[in-house]
Amino acid sequence: MPEAEAIRLAQQGDASAFERLYRLHNRRVYSLCLRMVGNTAGAEDLTQEAFLQLFRKIATFRGESAFSTWLHRLAVNVVLMKLRKKSGTETSLDELTEPDEESGGPRRDFGGPDLRLSGSIDRVHLQRAVEQLPPGYKAVFVLHDIQGYEHNEIAEIMDCSIGNSKSQLHKARMRLRELLHEATRDKAREDRKAASADSGGED
Amino acid sequence: MATMTCKAFLNRLQLWMDDNPPPDAEAHLRNCPNCRNVIADLNAIHSEAQSWNTEEVEPPAHIWTSLRSQLEQEGLIRDQRSVLPQPSNSGWFSGWFAGLPRPALAGAYLVLLIAVAFGLSRPIDKRVNEARWLEGTEVSTSPLSAQLAAEQVSFASFNDSNPVVTASLNKNLAIVDNYITLCEKSVQEEPQNEVARDYLYEAYQQKADLLAQMTERGENNR
Repeated sequence: MPEAEAIRLAQQGDASAFERLYRLHNRRVYSLCLRMVGNTAGAEDLTQEAFLQLFRKIATFRGESAFSTWLHRLAVNVVLMKLRKKSGTETSLDELTEPDEESGGPRRDFGGPDLRLSGSIDRVHLQRAVEQLPPGYKAVFVLHDIQGYEHNEIAEIMDCSIGNSKSQLHKARMRLRELLHEATRDKAREDRKAASADSGGED
Repeated sequence: MATMTCKAFLNRLQLWMDDNPPPDAEAHLRNCPNCRNVIADLNAIHSEAQSWNTEEVEPPAHIWTSLRSQLEQEGLIRDQRSVLPQPSNSGWFSGWFAGLPRPALAGAYLVLLIAVAFGLSRPIDKRVNEARWLEGTEVSTSPLSAQLAAEQVSFASFNDSNPVVTASLNKNLAIVDNYITLCEKSVQEEPQNEVARDYLYEAYQQKADLLAQMTERGENNR
């Protein structure tokens, strides 16, 4: 069943059409949720919630935008609402896309003379760093760098300008770099402590 | 060409981060190892993240099951009959019920039909006496629930002899049973909701139809 036909039938409440739409998009939505929340239980809940909202609203879909864009917009909003509730901050989407609003911390000098990261970035450390990003940065980073969306598509999904999408992505990458450096420094410090303890024990 | 500072370079970085840098930025990069490190780090982060994109993850099957139940509960899925097997004239179906204990199944079907008819007659009572109807809702559905349990026992003996049919049969029965459970819950929560009651009796009717089709096929193939 083609997607357009499935949409039309789902708007009439056809069970098999709902399932068809779910099967067409579930992997991408689940992967997005998984990258955003970093755990399977949360991703499962959010995937179900995103599709539930989609099917509740499907009668209002008029095809002004691509169905997948519409679905991802719903999914991203569901995830962002969840992350905001978790962090205890209630912010609007407009605030989410404003530069320097989310972290609330002092402006950082990203261009410090740190050691180069290349070659030392592994999946585990990067995933940990992504999890620490503010929700808005994280959403743009996941959509652009992991899922491969273009800035114009992200702007539509996130309801922001293309310039904002680029700005958020840049800040997200810079913040990730900083988090990865912090992790590297912490690791080096722990290694030194361990080495020092070992040499002390030998005396 | 004027020399660009590191601060100016980093401030403008987002403008061309996915394109080639302008000549003055390129000139700065050639002479500034720190900014070269920044660019190398950002590229490394981007490359690592891109490699994740090829690994879309299959969500667990229970998400759709839960989602579907929720959709049914909210009445968003309206066509329940589409999930039931349609009668077919093809040969593969005709051999399904040759080994069924037909007298028992036919008897069970008759009892179920009588019970459904009894249940469907209750709304008339309601017009006469609302209290009697509300009290009778449970009474009228309980024989049906008991009959459903008896049906499952009948099919259990059938399962052992024909595993292919068993899988299909159990799946369809599970779907109908799930629907019946949801409808019963709705009626319990809103006993005065006529739509909920209609759905419940329709669910029982669907199960009766399913059993009737099976019995008929079995008789035809004796």
